[in-house]
Amino acid sequence: MEELANIPWKLIWPLIGIQLILIVVALVDLFRNRNVKGPLFLWILIIVFINIIGPVIYFLFGRRQS
Amino acid sequence: MNGFNVLLKKEWREYSRNYKLIWIPLVFILFGVIEPLTNRYLPEIMEKVGNLPEGAEFPWPEFTGQDVFISLMSQYQMIGLLIIILGFMGAISAERKNGTASLLYVRPLSFTSYFMSKWITINVIVLGSVWVGFGSSWYYIWALFGKVPVQDVMVFLAVYSLWIVFVTSIVLALSASFSTGVTAALGIVLTIIGSVLDSVIGQFWTITPWKLPNYAALMLTKGADRTDFWLTVVLTALLIGILVIAGILMSKRNASKATV
Repeated sequence: MEELANIPWKLIWPLIGIQLILIVVALVDLFRNRNVKGPLFLWILIIVFINIIGPVIYFLFGRRQS
Repeated sequence: MNGFNVLLKKEWREYSRNYKLIWIPLVFILFGVIEPLTNRYLPEIMEKVGNLPEGAEFPWPEFTGQDVFISLMSQYQMIGLLIIILGFMGAISAERKNGTASLLYVRPLSFTSYFMSKWITINVIVLGSVWVGFGSSWYYIWALFGKVPVQDVMVFLAVYSLWIVFVTSIVLALSASFSTGVTAALGIVLTIIGSVLDSVIGQFWTITPWKLPNYAALMLTKGADRTDFWLTVVLTALLIGILVIAGILMSKRNASKATV
């Protein structure tokens, strides 16, 4: 438990926060748009489970331009 | 200039609707925050989870704040440029293809305002993202490594921003001239591979836009050769002007290719 206290949480929280915002924005867009290349379910997995760049991959390659 | 304002608003609305206004700055901040954190804590992370054998040493150089700044810049030189190219490759070419262009082109439209509205919006988004990225990184570096003087950071940002404007101008001019796929390929070759090539074989010349990131880094550490630096700045500004004019001419010329 002592090790957990040593982690500089003040500096880590923003990192986690930004990742969460990115995931939420990507998911909101996915469900509003639904016009994606490939299966919807796959994109949910990519957005949620690929660290950092999952939402980026979705925004760059998942959306169909329309 | 009325048409220009309308076009500017259209661009702005489009980028907020497809969330580029949100996710591009966030990704730059994310990388700006991760870079100092990993550089600071990698030795400890390796010790805890790296499966190092008993007694193994993990030598990790002592970084100064400036070093971390420069290593973030090289991060942006790969992933940042890739995001800029892939994020905006369709700015003009996709509009030609999906029919938006045919709605626009039937109106009395000045292609100068058309191109410039895109150029300005994209540069605002991208430069804003790069600045908030370096800004948040600057705060983390200050907390974890030590202070990098504000003036140095400002000079560095100014030089690096010129390079970024050069990149967005290349991407937009390509998008005006070719299809989205060709834009992506040529854009990556010209910017990312161009920078790599320049650093490999570029010791014979000192004045190219591809040297700008190097000059930005030098500004932060010891100061570059002033004449070469200023000539590079002038050359880059000229090339940006040429790219913009070429982009305007090409978007006019390709207007007939728009699908209806």
